[in-house]
Amino acid sequence: MNPSLSQLVQDARHGEEPRAIRAAGRLMSLLEDDPTRLPELFQAVDHLPEPRVLLGLTGAPGSGKSTLTDALVAEHRRRHPDEKVGVIAVDPSSPFSGGAVLGDRVRMMRHATDPHVYVRSLASRGHLGGLTLGVKGVARVMGLIGCRAVFIETVGVGQSEVEVAKVADLVAVILAPGQGDSIQMLKAGLMEIGDLFVINKADRDGASALHAQLLGALQLENRAAPSNNDCGVHHGVTIENQQAEAFNDLALDAKPLAAVYLVSATNQTGIGDLLNYVEQVADDNADRWPKRREQRIADEVRDAILEEGRSRLAATLGHNGSFSTTVRAILEGKSNIRESVDELLRKTK
Amino acid sequence: MNDTQSASTPSAHRPRVLVGKPGLDGHDRGAKYVAHILRDAGFEVIYTGIRRSPEQIVAAAIQEDAAAIGLSLLSGAHNVLFKRIIELLKEQSAGDIVVFGGGTIPPADVPGLEAMGVQAVFGPGTPAKEIVETLDHLLAQPA
Repeated sequence: MNPSLSQLVQDARHGEEPRAIRAAGRLMSLLEDDPTRLPELFQAVDHLPEPRVLLGLTGAPGSGKSTLTDALVAEHRRRHPDEKVGVIAVDPSSPFSGGAVLGDRVRMMRHATDPHVYVRSLASRGHLGGLTLGVKGVARVMGLIGCRAVFIETVGVGQSEVEVAKVADLVAVILAPGQGDSIQMLKAGLMEIGDLFVINKADRDGASALHAQLLGALQLENRAAPSNNDCGVHHGVTIENQQAEAFNDLALDAKPLAAVYLVSATNQTGIGDLLNYVEQVADDNADRWPKRREQRIADEVRDAILEEGRSRLAATLGHNGSFSTTVRAILEGKSNIRESVDELLRKTK
Repeated sequence: MNDTQSASTPSAHRPRVLVGKPGLDGHDRGAKYVAHILRDAGFEVIYTGIRRSPEQIVAAAIQEDAAAIGLSLLSGAHNVLFKRIIELLKEQSAGDIVVFGGGTIPPADVPGLEAMGVQAVFGPGTPAKEIVETLDHLLAQPA
C-alpha cells in the first residue's frame, strides 16, 4: 500500500492532476516524518527544479505573518498567473502532548481551491535538526511540482523557529505596532536574522513611531539603508553587489543593509513594493542562490547524519519516560554525562 | 503519557487531522474543542476556520496529506455537505481519508451519514476520550 519515494516523485512530477497533488502531499509527509530520506529525493530526480526564491517570514505571534503571506501569495498570483506558489506554515508542537494545532491556513483559505497555490502546515515537533531538514524537504518537493516562489512562515519565538527561517534565501522579520519598545529591538535573536524588516498593520496607531524606532535600531548597527525615509510607504533599496555579497557569507562584522517596508496586509497597501523588492533581490541573486543552496545540501546531508546518529543514540539510551540504567547511574552519582556518552557511543550500532 | 499511545517519540509519525466547518453557521466552539482535545492527545490538527466550502476543505486535506477530516456542523446542512465532501474525496483519488463529524446532528440522520461513508459521528456531550479512542482506532488500520 505504501508507494516508494521514487514512485511518488514520478507521480508528483508527471502524474495526472488529482494523483500528482496527492503524491506531492505524501512525499512531503515522508520527508517530514523521516528527514534523513532527503538525499533519496535528489537521487530520484536528475534536474530537480527549484523555486526562484524561498522567502522566510518570521516575527512575534500576532504580528500578521499569515495575513501578510496570504497577501503576498495573492500579489504573486496576480503578477504571474501561470506560476505556482508554495507556502510552508510552521506552528509549534506542544512540548507536553507532542500534538499541535496548525492554524495559519485560516488566513489563506481563499487560495485553497487555486491549483497554483500549495499550502502545507508543519508542526515544529520539538527538535531542531529534524525540523529544518524537514522544511528543506518540503520546500524541495514544492520546487519539484513547479512552485517558483515559496514562502516559509514561522513564529519568531524560540531557537528552532528562528533556525527554520534560515532555510530561506531571504528572511523578512515582521513587526507590528504595540508589541514592545525600542529596547526589545536590542535583544538578541529575531532582529539579527532579518535581511529585511516589514512593519505590518501600517493602518494602526503607532506604526510610524515603530518605523522610526526600527530605523534608529538599524542605524545603531549600521544596517539602515541610506535615503529610505522619503514618504513613509515603502523604503526599499536595490541591493548592490557588495551587500548581496554580505548576504552570502554571514560575516560577523559585515552585516548587510536592511530594507524596511511599512505595509498593511489587511488593506493590501505596500505589498506590491515589498514583492518588487523580493523579486529584485531574487533576480540579483539568480546565480548566487542556487550555488548557496547547493552548498547547503552538504549541510543538509551533514544534518541528516547527525539526525540518524541522534536517533540511534536515543534508541540505545531508551525512550523518554523509561528510567534507564544510564540515567539512573548519573542521578546516583555513579557515572557522569561524558562517560555515559562514551559508553553509549560504544554500544550504539 | 496518559491516554495516548499514538505519540511517544519526538520524530514519530503523528496522525494529521484536518478540522473544518463547512456551511454557513459560525459556531466554531465545538470544532475548536475537538481541535484542542486532539492536540492534547498528540495529533497534529490543521484547523481551517469557519464557512468553508466542501471544495476548499477537500483541497486543503489533500495538500496537507491529512489522514482524517473532522467536520463540525450546526446548521442542519450535514446530509448535503458531508455527501459532497465524500464525493469530492472519491473524485480526487482520496477516498481513503477518514471522514468523521459532529455538531447538532439528529440521531435519526446518523445511519444515513454512516451509509454514505462518514465513519463516526460525535454528538454534543461526547466524552473527549471516546473521540480520541475512536480516531486512534480508525486511523490505526491503514498505516
